Amino acid sequence: MIELLAPAGNLEMLKVAVENGANAIYVGARGWSRRRDAYELADEQLHEAIGIAHSGGAKLRVAINTNMQSCELPALLEKMEKFVNWGVDGAIMTDVGAIAQVHRRFPDLVIHASIGANIVNNEDVKFYRSIGVSQVVADTKLTLRELAARKADVDVGIEILIHANNCYTYLGKCWMSPYHRLERTRDDFGKDLFRGSPNRGGLDYRVCLEQWELFENSVLLEPHIALKNNAFFYLDDIPALIDLGVHCLKIQGREYPVPLVGRIVRFYRELVDSYLAEPAERFDLTPWRLRLEAIREERDSKRSNMTLVLLNEARQPVPHPV
Amino acid sequence: MGAFELNTTISNLRSLQESDLSAYDAVYLGNIYCRIFEDNFLERMNDLKEGIARVKDQGLRAYVTSYAGPRNDALPKVEMALETAAAAAADAVEVHNLGVLRLIHEQYPGMPVHIGGFANVYTDAGTAVLKEFGAVRFTPNYEISLDEVRAITAAVGIPAELLVHGKMPLGVSDYCFLLEYESHWPEKCPVVCQKQLFLRQGDWAMRSVGKGVLSGKDVCMLEHLPTLLAAGHKAFRIETAYETPEYRLGIARIYRTALERALAGDGTVDESVWQMIREHTAVGLCNGFYFGRTGGEYIGSRAETTAAC
Repeated sequence: MIELLAPAGNLEMLKVAVENGANAIYVGARGWSRRRDAYELADEQLHEAIGIAHSGGAKLRVAINTNMQSCELPALLEKMEKFVNWGVDGAIMTDVGAIAQVHRRFPDLVIHASIGANIVNNEDVKFYRSIGVSQVVADTKLTLRELAARKADVDVGIEILIHANNCYTYLGKCWMSPYHRLERTRDDFGKDLFRGSPNRGGLDYRVCLEQWELFENSVLLEPHIALKNNAFFYLDDIPALIDLGVHCLKIQGREYPVPLVGRIVRFYRELVDSYLAEPAERFDLTPWRLRLEAIREERDSKRSNMTLVLLNEARQPVPHPV
Repeated sequence: MGAFELNTTISNLRSLQESDLSAYDAVYLGNIYCRIFEDNFLERMNDLKEGIARVKDQGLRAYVTSYAGPRNDALPKVEMALETAAAAAADAVEVHNLGVLRLIHEQYPGMPVHIGGFANVYTDAGTAVLKEFGAVRFTPNYEISLDEVRAITAAVGIPAELLVHGKMPLGVSDYCFLLEYESHWPEKCPVVCQKQLFLRQGDWAMRSVGKGVLSGKDVCMLEHLPTLLAAGHKAFRIETAYETPEYRLGIARIYRTALERALAGDGTVDESVWQMIREHTAVGLCNGFYFGRTGGEYIGSRAETTAAC
């Protein structure tokens, strides 16, 4: 059975995602995932989250997918030990060294290679497989043809982002944001938050979404350049993804309002269930398109507002450089 | 390797033929961003073979790079380039993609591999894994500091290669936005990305090469070379994949002289040298992330270089 994986930026969102039919939820460990700390959970909250998810019949995965510093690896292993003892169902990770160490220490833990690992070809999948990964998040540019080839070639669980953003650059291979602003701050537990670097766990200032002008040296060539960064909401492809046997459909959005995430999860839950209940040749996507449009409008509006705030923050001086 | 290695990147045979490489010790051949970059070595095996021979004939080490984000359909060509590199006795292959690293480990187990900056080396544990797959050198991810690099080299025992001058890669895409606009301009793909194109907004600037985004400022570690040498670093890169032959030669001469002086105990840099650097710099200078700060900042005595990102 295909799994619907939902985000939770707080415990309330987690409850709503479970109530609306998510099979699994992912949360970020505070300071250790690709979102700002406001949308991550402290350890004790994470403990509670595992209980809430399990009592609702869902799995709980922890995103611990920053590119950390070498000196932070012991702290990561200590944290993972707690999470494993509490019964976490999987870890979403990026750094190959951290993955290898966690796999050695906790061989039964399911490790998911994060979107930040930027797995773009089948050989990549085999590499991550060899160091202990059993599920991979497909990069956002993967085509159905590539997906079919991957399914045929490699024994691995494949997760597809169905409701997310497609950056101009490959996720995990971009540091435009900290090039413009990087603020080094430590949380109460000594974790460096790298504010401005999504790869390292801080927020992304989305500088790619600035209204760029293109110059050749000092001559203006184009006054309005938009680097493609589109939200995407898979709908038409979902039947094909299910038919191809992908393991998991993943929704992004830990930073969105709880009711919106609830509606998104409910939408995809009902869509998947309806498709599975009805013969494929009779399945009509028309009513689903209308429902999705309303969700898209709300989501786009929230995201646009957030982008303006982030771009403004990116231009603020760094207060206390280390 | 002698006391140090100064190397650079050249994308095609034309550029190689036009370049005076006398100030370099090694050259990476190929363009990592785009398969249709003008006569990319990585797509033209005869050119690659000739390029390796030309570099070696000059007494330099010839390295073959590979794509930063090769999708499945690029892998057959990557394998051909590896085969050509092996047959022409290239001194090493540079790898940005871990799938390609795995391929080399399986098919060419003795081939020396340099891990590239897009392979996301952030930790000692990660580097140790890559060493098991044949890595003998690594370019750290550009986001990490010199302190972090030192922790990795000390723990894992393979040397780092550091970008010391040039535009720092900031991102790679599978899509070239320049194609949307090229009908407005006289130059078209596959040469339009070689123009000096900058994305600007206010005091922000980034160099665009189509599928790649680079820093607007040039990373410049000239005044910090004594520190790098003291930390045991020996492999230094001047990034010139999208620069002119004049830039390639001029900057390399400056760094070779400065490195030799630093090794002789003189870490100073003449004022005239800074003037030459300024002439080759469109936006300004920065230190990247080497000092744990915002990538576009410059730390050091040349504070006037920090005007824009």
